[in-house]
Amino acid sequence: MYEFEYHQPKSLEEATKLFADADDPQFMAGGQTIIPVMKQRLAMPSDIIDLGKISDLQGISVDGGALTIGAMTHHNEVAGSDEVRKAIPALAELASHIGDPAVRNRGTIGGSIANNDPAADYPAALVALGATVQTTSREIAAEDFFTAMFETALDEGEMIVNVTFPAPEKAAYEKFPNPASRYATTGVFVAKTGESVRVAVTGAGACVFRQIDFEKALLGDFSPSALDGLTVSTDGLNSDLHASAEYRANLISVLAKRAVKHAG
Amino acid sequence: MEKYGIGQPVRRKEDVRFLTGTGTYIDDIKPDNLIHAVVLRSPHAHAKILDLDTSEAETMPGVLCIVTGKDWVAEDFQPMPTKSAVNKKIDGTPLNQPPRHAIAIDRVRYVGEPVALIVAETLVQAQDAAEVVEVDYEELEAVTDQIKALEPGAPQIWDDIEGNFCIDFELGDKEGTGKAFETADHVVKLKLRNQCVTAAPIETRGAIASYDKDTGKYFLQNATQNVHANRDTFASVLKIPSEDLHHMAPDVGGGFGAKNSGYPEPSLLLYAAKKTDRPIKWIGDRNESFAADTHGRDQATTVEMALDKDGMFLGLRTRTVGNIGAYCWTVGPFTPTGGSARTQGGPYYIPAMHYTGIAAFTNTMPLDPYRGAGRPEGSFQIERIVELAARELGMDPVELRRKNLMPADSLPRKTPMGLDVDTGNFPEVFERTLKMSDRAGFAKRFEESARKGLRRGFAIAPYLECTGGGPKEFAGVKFGKDGSATLRVGSMSTGMGQETSMPQILSDTLGIDFEKITYVQGDTDATPIGGGHGGSRNMEVGGSAVLQCAREVLVKAKQLAAHLLNSNADDMELKESVFTDVKTDQNVSMADVVAASFDQSRLPDGMEAGALDTDTIFEREIISCPNGCHSAEVEVDPETGTVQVEHMWIVDDFGTIINPMLADGQVMGGVAQGLGQALMEEIVYDEDSGQLVTGSLMDYALPRADSMPKMEMAFYEDAPTAKNPLGVKGSGEAGCCGAPPAIVNAVLDALKEDGVTHIEMPLTPEKVWRAIQDAKQQGA
Repeated sequence: MYEFEYHQPKSLEEATKLFADADDPQFMAGGQTIIPVMKQRLAMPSDIIDLGKISDLQGISVDGGALTIGAMTHHNEVAGSDEVRKAIPALAELASHIGDPAVRNRGTIGGSIANNDPAADYPAALVALGATVQTTSREIAAEDFFTAMFETALDEGEMIVNVTFPAPEKAAYEKFPNPASRYATTGVFVAKTGESVRVAVTGAGACVFRQIDFEKALLGDFSPSALDGLTVSTDGLNSDLHASAEYRANLISVLAKRAVKHAG
Repeated sequence: MEKYGIGQPVRRKEDVRFLTGTGTYIDDIKPDNLIHAVVLRSPHAHAKILDLDTSEAETMPGVLCIVTGKDWVAEDFQPMPTKSAVNKKIDGTPLNQPPRHAIAIDRVRYVGEPVALIVAETLVQAQDAAEVVEVDYEELEAVTDQIKALEPGAPQIWDDIEGNFCIDFELGDKEGTGKAFETADHVVKLKLRNQCVTAAPIETRGAIASYDKDTGKYFLQNATQNVHANRDTFASVLKIPSEDLHHMAPDVGGGFGAKNSGYPEPSLLLYAAKKTDRPIKWIGDRNESFAADTHGRDQATTVEMALDKDGMFLGLRTRTVGNIGAYCWTVGPFTPTGGSARTQGGPYYIPAMHYTGIAAFTNTMPLDPYRGAGRPEGSFQIERIVELAARELGMDPVELRRKNLMPADSLPRKTPMGLDVDTGNFPEVFERTLKMSDRAGFAKRFEESARKGLRRGFAIAPYLECTGGGPKEFAGVKFGKDGSATLRVGSMSTGMGQETSMPQILSDTLGIDFEKITYVQGDTDATPIGGGHGGSRNMEVGGSAVLQCAREVLVKAKQLAAHLLNSNADDMELKESVFTDVKTDQNVSMADVVAASFDQSRLPDGMEAGALDTDTIFEREIISCPNGCHSAEVEVDPETGTVQVEHMWIVDDFGTIINPMLADGQVMGGVAQGLGQALMEEIVYDEDSGQLVTGSLMDYALPRADSMPKMEMAFYEDAPTAKNPLGVKGSGEAGCCGAPPAIVNAVLDALKEDGVTHIEMPLTPEKVWRAIQDAKQQGA
């Protein structure tokens, strides 16, 4: 690890000012990615701005049919929250399988989506549920938020405040974990909300994406058999040590069917 | 006392400190004036070092010393020796052994090879300086696969070693085996691999070196499995007498063979400690552990079996090509040659056998023993060919095994591989395992799995292995006036529990209070010799040394007790810590005998104060043969290829069991590593660049608690060996021998209706899924 200045602002204004005044600053949420990267000397920010003490970024609330989760909410809080379990059980379930207990105690929803790791779980939930990301300057629809591998629509110095999820009628997430890292080799989040069905896939490509043909098939018939006979193209899918594009294409089909069944 | 006797499941006394974070591992030791080192390692698999410039790094803040290959040449430091027991080729010429220096001189041959040691006041300063050491490399073509390395035109790793060939070796009756194949009704042949894996101990390697300029002596604290042999290695490198190097291992967090070797780093640290006159610490990180801890297995094998029309085995022919990496490491060339030959054929009666092993150099981290070192490979080979034979001959794999096991009355027997199998009962162990396995309930479980869209399979895998490692061991006991005893042993635990089991032997034999026994290991100053651990030798050789020592103490204690009671030593009987004269019923406690041993007025003529203190050396004549049987039931998800091992049943014949709780732990740990090899672990190098692909826990998959099956274990204790006084056969490596074939064959059994006959380890989800797809296409 290289030397850096550490800050722990108490407000968004203070964090914004610290960011503006530093040479090469880096916001830190739960630190579950940035700390290992810094320990490997693969990043050398001049200043780490820890967002852990900003109360505006905390908390889970329900307003009508919408669930709002503060950016600094830990995965285990989402997993264990009665509000989340009641409004969107699939989201609590997803959070309960991120990383390991140590990661879930430190990692946050805001940190996860701002990092946009192609194998992270949350991006699939945001896209499938049609969530909205509230930042310090605007609202961004989930689909517009995740732009490319490890890239988002966030501008320099812009912070995520919270994420709002409309409660779906039915939803489920199925993940096939990488046997080593237990990130998603492929994960599929299926959500049915009113007249819309969304199927979001993470881990299989460079960035979360929607499986549009699956969505169309499920719109008329929300059952696993509706996906029979549909094959997934390997175009744009990742190939690595643990899974070829062909295998990932198979996983998308298998996991989508299981998610639909699981969603009931 | 019986609570702590031989055979009792005594809880590990070391666990209190291990589980409460109060152990002393190498990184917990912080001597005054400590400075820190990092190792700059080769980023290339194969390259010439054209220039190495440390001038800028030397000016960095806090930098105290930088060691490079230039220092090694200037000091004329010596290469590290290879101690392979097989060291001559088939033609009688010596093995090709290139010099293995502690630091690269002018060429690097694997990713991770040490190029410079940077020493600074702080770790961060050393890391900063390492970044500005300039090394000008000229990259060379690399080869990381042993089969390709032996092909004509392959990149040459050593200029004077043609074709990357290290050694070849054969054992058995070539001609007789050939005849068996000619006359056989059936011949079954299979090519398979035991892939390259690594031990990944929870504590990475590390060391602290210091030098006392007043006495001229060096002190090395090191996360190692073997202090004596490695002391001699480091001393020979630095050209100093062994007695000038005091080598100690504190608590060590896992070894599995990967901490056996004389590694490069300690010599570099010792040299730098003398130069800087400061104690220096180096702690390898997890990436260094993957890149620069010795790897294991990596054997490409063709195995052939000859059978008669009834399925009786007639002959076995095995040809293995083993990767040993870029250098002959400590005993690297032995594993694919002699190490894999001895237990070929497992527990089956096979009249004719022939084994050929070749060791080849490649541009990978060198290989050395890893838990089993050749025996798990052999066990996997025989069990796979037997399973395939059953399939091809249309026979029940259980029945085929049953009829070919060595009958109980065939023992003692020397196998065609020269293995001296003295005691055991393979058919009985096999039947007990089968009985435990609830075969009657399988059909129901199979149906339940099928209803969930899953396949279920079963396999049974008997194994026969052998011990290894140094044949000699020291044990010494010193008493205190208060009845306490200090037991020093030259074998050592890296977490297996000898701090508990060795005192059990002493307590059991001498009736001394278990709680009052202090156990000392891993210190060249504490014991004159020591073989460390390796080859399941701890209890077999170390435990036998403790028993021998205790018995020698007992002879003296009886004499002293008899003197105190005015009777004869022959009439003394020790029971529940009290010596009783069987004729007069007079008695004296062991504690009092110990107290008397320090009081000259109570001692007989010829005995001096401290007379009970005893040092002894035990020497094993013949290696032991642990054996047993594993069976496994697995569930396979055909849609994703995921394998879950549901249940394993295991019966082991380890001879006498000193502590069943610890022996169970050895089996479970061995199964975890065997399951890892079967299903998920693999060291992967990029074929073209020679870069290590699985350089972290993000890519190298290890089993976790939820990967493990339900396990039921039992011991067959009716056949202790007479090869050592304890009657133990060794337990450390058995789990790695039984689990991989049981699991892999069970998966293949689950997929037999799909037409899948073979999948190479590790059976990752994609490989299993692909095998099903391929079989489907072939069937269509």
